[in-house]
Amino acid sequence: MSKRVAAGVVSSALLAAFSLLAQQGAATSGQNDSKGKIGSIGLYQNQRLPPDGPAPKFADGTPDLSGVWLGGGSNSTDISNPKSLKPGDQVIMLPWAEEVVKHRLSKQDPEANCLPAGIPRGSPYPWRIVQTPTHYFILYEGNIHSYRQIFMNGKHPDDPDPTWYGHSIGHWEGNTLVVDTVGFNDKFWFDYKGHPHTEKLHTIERYTRTDFGHMAIEVTIDDPGTYVKPFTTIGKATLMPGAELMEYICQENNQDLPLLQGPARGPGEQ
Amino acid sequence: MRPLFFIAIACVAGLASGVPLLAHHSGAAEFDRTKKIDLTGVVTRVEWTNPHAHFYMDVKDASGSASNWNLELASPNVLLRNGWKRSSLKPGDTVTVTGIQAKDSSHYASAGVITFPDGHKLTFLSADDPSK
Repeated sequence: MSKRVAAGVVSSALLAAFSLLAQQGAATSGQNDSKGKIGSIGLYQNQRLPPDGPAPKFADGTPDLSGVWLGGGSNSTDISNPKSLKPGDQVIMLPWAEEVVKHRLSKQDPEANCLPAGIPRGSPYPWRIVQTPTHYFILYEGNIHSYRQIFMNGKHPDDPDPTWYGHSIGHWEGNTLVVDTVGFNDKFWFDYKGHPHTEKLHTIERYTRTDFGHMAIEVTIDDPGTYVKPFTTIGKATLMPGAELMEYICQENNQDLPLLQGPARGPGEQ
Repeated sequence: MRPLFFIAIACVAGLASGVPLLAHHSGAAEFDRTKKIDLTGVVTRVEWTNPHAHFYMDVKDASGSASNWNLELASPNVLLRNGWKRSSLKPGDTVTVTGIQAKDSSHYASAGVITFPDGHKLTFLSADDPSK
């Protein structure tokens, strides 16, 4: 292999790893200041790191998931990356889906067109869960600066209108918030590579705040119209105690589309 | 040392070539890692917008004729959290920029490291304080 190709391969691998690091919201620690440790969380440098301690609860015993969180979504480069799946799980597509993935172009990615990334595609931008007695809301800074609503202890309609984020109902199983969603349209891509889905998609998300500063997130993807069997993505979100959400209006100055060339692929790939 | 530490260091080292991966799209579909740019010029415009901030600069070639380049940055959300201010880069600033060019070979590139005449630098992960 020539030096240039080798350098390209190495830097692609590093960038892919960095992308994973960024979207998983991993924290690396640095020095202390008077408020506690400072370090990087995902892409964000010199951030106040979350303190140690148990996961908090409201007075009625319900886990408190409040705060600005980073990461925990699925692998946005390739949802089938085994490192981001429950051990032993595989993403096996039906033949029609394999054909579709082969021919998708990067510029066709709805996310590149400032349309929703759907569930559970990871993002390098933070998010919040807001808990009310009847509804939980997930506020996403990135992608299209949007929100999802979860009807707590709700019921799915018999014939939901297909939408980008589907119809979500939630309940608690011990310390885990379980969110069940149906009624998706078939428009968003799971990743840059273009893994598709149908309106049969059914997702089950499990959010568990494992300690004060971390949340384990698992998402089971069950779409018999596309995938031979269900698979579960795993992620870990990190709390950003010093942060607030910012506005992100993707549509205001999106210049990339005419420049995107070639097939759908991940950021680090050539 | 923790493996994540090495990944972070390696990626900071890779910054000089421009890191268009914070994106709502695939950077590899837009930029060519082998087309490195190293330009010096005067900033003519800054767009502090999503999904990417942009700055434009007039670059003179050896014969003295100027072309205007469009340099793509990370989202202001990333830059602000990493120490940039809106005033970190302004029209009239003379800067040197390394990065990688768009695949279509136009005057469009992803900016990696921006260096000012006094030596202070901006990257998407960091912003030197010019007063120091």
